[in-house]
Amino acid sequence: MRVQQFKVALIAAIFLSAGVAASVPPQSQHPTEDLLISDNRAGQWGGRLVVSLRSEPKTLNPVTSADVSSREVIAQMTGDLIHINRLSQQTESALARTWSVSPDGLRYTLQMRRGLHFSDGHPVDASDVIFSFKVYLDENIRSPQRDLLIIGGKPIAVRQLDSDTVMFELAQPYAAAERLFDSLAVLPRHLLEEPYKSGKLSRAWGLGTSPQEIAGLGPFRLKEYVAGQRITLERNPYYWRTDHEGNRLPYLDQITFLFVASADAEVIRFQAGDTDIINRVSADDYSVLEKDQAARSFHLRDLGPSLEFNFLFFNLNSVLPAQSSELPRRQAWFREVKFRQAISLAIDRNAIARIVYKGRGTPLWTPVTSANSLWVDTSISHPARSLENARKLLNSAGFSWKNSALLDASGAPVEFSIITSSSNAQRIQMATMIQADLKDLGINVQVVPLEFHSVLDRIFQTHDYEAAILALGGGDVDPNSEMNVWLSSGNDHVWDIGETHPATSWEAEIDRLMERQLSTTKSENRKLLYDHVQEILAEELPIICLASPNLLVGAKNQLANFKPATLDPHTLWNSYELFFGGKETARQP
Amino acid sequence: MKQNRKIVVLMICLGGVHLVSLFAGFFSPYDFAQQDRDFPYLSPSQIHFRDAQGSVRWRPSVCLLVERPGDSGAYDEDKKKCFPVRFFVRGAEYRLLGLFQLDWHLFGVSPPAKIFLVGTDGYGRDVFSRLLYGSQVSLFSGLMATVLSLAVGALLGMVAGYYGGWIDAVVMRCTELFLALPWLYLLFALRAFLPLHISPILAFLLLIAVIGVVGWARPGRLIRGVVLSGKENQYVLAARLFGGSDVYLMRRHLLPQTYGILLTQAALLIPQYILAEVTLSFLGLGVGEPAPSWGNMLAALQQYSVLVSYWWMWAPGVVLIPVFLSYGLLASAMQARAAGMTREE
Amino acid sequence: MRYLGHRLVQSLFLLLGVSVLSFIFVDLAPGSFFDEMRLNPQISSETVAKLRKQYGMDQPLPVRYMRWLKSTLKGELGFSFAYDAPVAPLLRSRARNTLLLTGSATLLGWLIALPLGILSAEKRKGWVDRTGTITTSVMLATPDLLLALGLLLFAARTRWLPVGGMSALDSGGQGVWQQTRSTAVHLVGPVVVLVLGSLPILMRHTRAAMIEALDSPYVRAARAHGVRRWRILFRHALPAAINPLVTLFGLSLGSLLSASLLIEVVMSWPGLGPLLLEAILARDLYVVIGAVMFASLFLVCGTLLGDLLLFVADPRIRTDELV
Repeated sequence: MRVQQFKVALIAAIFLSAGVAASVPPQSQHPTEDLLISDNRAGQWGGRLVVSLRSEPKTLNPVTSADVSSREVIAQMTGDLIHINRLSQQTESALARTWSVSPDGLRYTLQMRRGLHFSDGHPVDASDVIFSFKVYLDENIRSPQRDLLIIGGKPIAVRQLDSDTVMFELAQPYAAAERLFDSLAVLPRHLLEEPYKSGKLSRAWGLGTSPQEIAGLGPFRLKEYVAGQRITLERNPYYWRTDHEGNRLPYLDQITFLFVASADAEVIRFQAGDTDIINRVSADDYSVLEKDQAARSFHLRDLGPSLEFNFLFFNLNSVLPAQSSELPRRQAWFREVKFRQAISLAIDRNAIARIVYKGRGTPLWTPVTSANSLWVDTSISHPARSLENARKLLNSAGFSWKNSALLDASGAPVEFSIITSSSNAQRIQMATMIQADLKDLGINVQVVPLEFHSVLDRIFQTHDYEAAILALGGGDVDPNSEMNVWLSSGNDHVWDIGETHPATSWEAEIDRLMERQLSTTKSENRKLLYDHVQEILAEELPIICLASPNLLVGAKNQLANFKPATLDPHTLWNSYELFFGGKETARQP
Repeated sequence: MKQNRKIVVLMICLGGVHLVSLFAGFFSPYDFAQQDRDFPYLSPSQIHFRDAQGSVRWRPSVCLLVERPGDSGAYDEDKKKCFPVRFFVRGAEYRLLGLFQLDWHLFGVSPPAKIFLVGTDGYGRDVFSRLLYGSQVSLFSGLMATVLSLAVGALLGMVAGYYGGWIDAVVMRCTELFLALPWLYLLFALRAFLPLHISPILAFLLLIAVIGVVGWARPGRLIRGVVLSGKENQYVLAARLFGGSDVYLMRRHLLPQTYGILLTQAALLIPQYILAEVTLSFLGLGVGEPAPSWGNMLAALQQYSVLVSYWWMWAPGVVLIPVFLSYGLLASAMQARAAGMTREE
Repeated sequence: MRYLGHRLVQSLFLLLGVSVLSFIFVDLAPGSFFDEMRLNPQISSETVAKLRKQYGMDQPLPVRYMRWLKSTLKGELGFSFAYDAPVAPLLRSRARNTLLLTGSATLLGWLIALPLGILSAEKRKGWVDRTGTITTSVMLATPDLLLALGLLLFAARTRWLPVGGMSALDSGGQGVWQQTRSTAVHLVGPVVVLVLGSLPILMRHTRAAMIEALDSPYVRAARAHGVRRWRILFRHALPAAINPLVTLFGLSLGSLLSASLLIEVVMSWPGLGPLLLEAILARDLYVVIGAVMFASLFLVCGTLLGDLLLFVADPRIRTDELV
């Protein structure tokens, strides 16, 4: 009997160990590592994801990269201390396991996870964090991230407390300080300290760098770069996330980014099955792809309004180009708030959303869209188009009509031009529709599409324009990311650039409110302050918001755990949990 | 002569097209800028020759469109509400030749019906009307820019080929300069230099000047090549010996030798220049919205979604084909006639 | 030989002139590379100003030109703002890909256009001529981009051709023969578009020149003498018609680097096109000027070759005047 039991036990043990061996991941697990357990649907390893990029990345250097494509690729190869979850829009723990804030709000102490490694196997500790921030704050390197780390006029101070603890000191309390850490990559000191000391850090990690010289804490690491065609990343065997079954993430073997320079070609390739995900489809292409969904086993998602806001604004600068004779006279109209309000009332926003975005857009009356559920002010009114009210406002401001043409108080006909980028068909359409709308008020509008940099030059440098249509937004949901737009001294205060002092009393009020919410720590108070800012903007209308495009994405049905979000990167933010599994796995309600 | 008859026929056809173009306001039922925001990207209206009872009538009619419930964007005809197409109606005002204010149109329907012979574009504007108005810019600017290019090219090319030596070297290096330089940036600068408001006439002339001036290099080189060899012909040498001046020789003997090149180039450049306007409008130098031109109408077609979904937007391209064909045949016939004439000397 | 020497000196001056003028044009255009950064609320204007200074954009034009000239002589051709790397290596690998494309397309184009043009000139009103005239008119009416999009669509629907790109995704580990085959298959699409775009010009010119030659007295005399058809075409008519064709050929060679830029963008061919288009729109000056210089080099060589061929092919041209 005992021998029998023993045999059974032995056979059972063999099967059990075989089972265990079968489920052992490609890499052995390190019990000494403090891994983050991800709460996602468990998947299986394998597969290659192919994604298209509209332009080629310019560099793989996290410190100096500034363009969108480079940042998209780098995001897959790097890890940060505190990460903003793109779906919930709140911060969550990443490389920092826990953190605490001092009562005065000036000191943040972060505890790092222990026992982690870079993608080349080298261990990580707090000295890498210190090194990284030293680099970001170095004035000679001129990293675009540096400006984010200047709080209250002074750069953040970083101190290492022990091998796993780092302390950050701010000059003044900063409400969204946690959000600063998102996308600030922790750099490998063992690879980059040498170039840093010899002053070559900004030229390091260009596109031709061999994969052995690059290491990071992201889910993937560099495998191959083919100039002009594609860049391939492979799984990082040391990645610090596992699923709840203990399997180390990511599931995917590889991600390949294809460079497809034209939006039309991108759509055609997705339709043909060459790529697995399509990001930010235009509304027109969406309708074309919709018809093909079932036949070609991919599905599209309309995520609702994005964070982008398109707006019309007038030139309210005090410094004007010398040779313009018309501009000062016309500026008198633009400065009259009733004129701006009348224009806003005459614009048919619903038609813009319907025609420009084929119904997949949202009319806007404030720059904070409903995608920003944490900060949107729902009490702001959304007046429908009303020519009658517009006429009343204009009348009370001293305008009159003759032969259905609008004249100002001195009898001169009211006409102006709207400049916009010629490479953006949607904004030209909006301008053309506004042109037709304002014709009903008797205003003659000229639509002048100009090449993009010429538009920027006129707005930021020469101030030689009358009205313009631009789009902003999409960075982060927090108001602090748009500070430079609302502050009078901000470099993105587009309607009046280069002011050191607020030009009007309401702009002074906005300045005051924005400064206060910057250092207010309680989120309810911040919301009240920002609501007040939105109300002033809706009343004074320095920018007349028009519409926001919906976020439209698509993916193959076999791609599981596909959870597109309104924050960038919309489709790849959770690349560590994506996997290919089964035919009908991905349809989520 | 057969060639003469062919030439006359072709010129009548082309002349007719240009005449219709001039009278675009009369032939089109609607204004080119009138947006019908309820009907974007509508397919061409169906013309009925039968009335509600099914009997044939000589007067065509158009039925009212009603939105299909549920599926937004699709329209059905309401067969009970049909409106006859009437001829010589009064409609939107327009200026004929920039001088006369008229409001007579060849055909139209009474509101609320609409007649869109070639459908509508993204804003709900009638494509047929825009085709006719657009031809004004495209046909005439294409023609005039070509004349400018060929005139400059022929002049410089002949001078270079005839005199040779350092004149030839200078002119030929200039052609290489013109072919090599990044004109795009100069055009950006030009646009910045100009005021924001450009009157349509100025925009039109600017279009012609820019395309014409930048494009003289290729015809110039071709002419120079032909003249280099043509001036060694026996009769040219003979004429020179008889005391012919340079200008006389160039005009009387060398110019006819270049007719073949000139005509072929003309037939090739007119199409290229009409399409070049697409690039220029991207720079802000073409005709601005809402004014149509075949070039900017074709630009809308270059989006994938429009290309596959709305076949009537191909209209400008389709209309261009017979126009280019006529120009090509005309050039060919004129060349044959010129060759025949020199042969008969 | 002296002629050659003269031309080389002139070409050098020309290239210098092109570089100076390009610098001036680019400088005149409003806006700079760093404007786009100014639109980002998260980058301060001080950082932008510092970046401008770092790249020397605050210096006056002559100083910048001299620095660029020095860098060119070192072989770098200046620095790209976007890539933060020297321009020449960026351009080299992509110029190779463009040349592969345009070289094949030019060769194929001429090989098709010449016989068709000759045939349609010989038998006017024949079916070759009629269909040729109609198809060239159709092709002239179709912008290149539409052709490219159409071909992409065709490839996507039928899967007979790859939908853009130059190599298959896993071509890294394949053998040489397989890689060549893959490249050849990817070449088909863009080459077809380029050939269709250039055919009208070549065919019409060939046809026109041949008609003139075939109508001339000595050809009629040769026919009267009973000379055979092929001999008339190739021994008597073609050499007389060759003059404009040789000039065109020189121009074709000269535009090898610039003819296919937009097609490359649409069809994802990794040549100069996508790189240059982005650089032009983003105002990455030195990349643009570097590409212009490359293209000018080709242009100068192409026209030189064209002129030399002209003297060789057309014996009526007296070269002794130029020596």
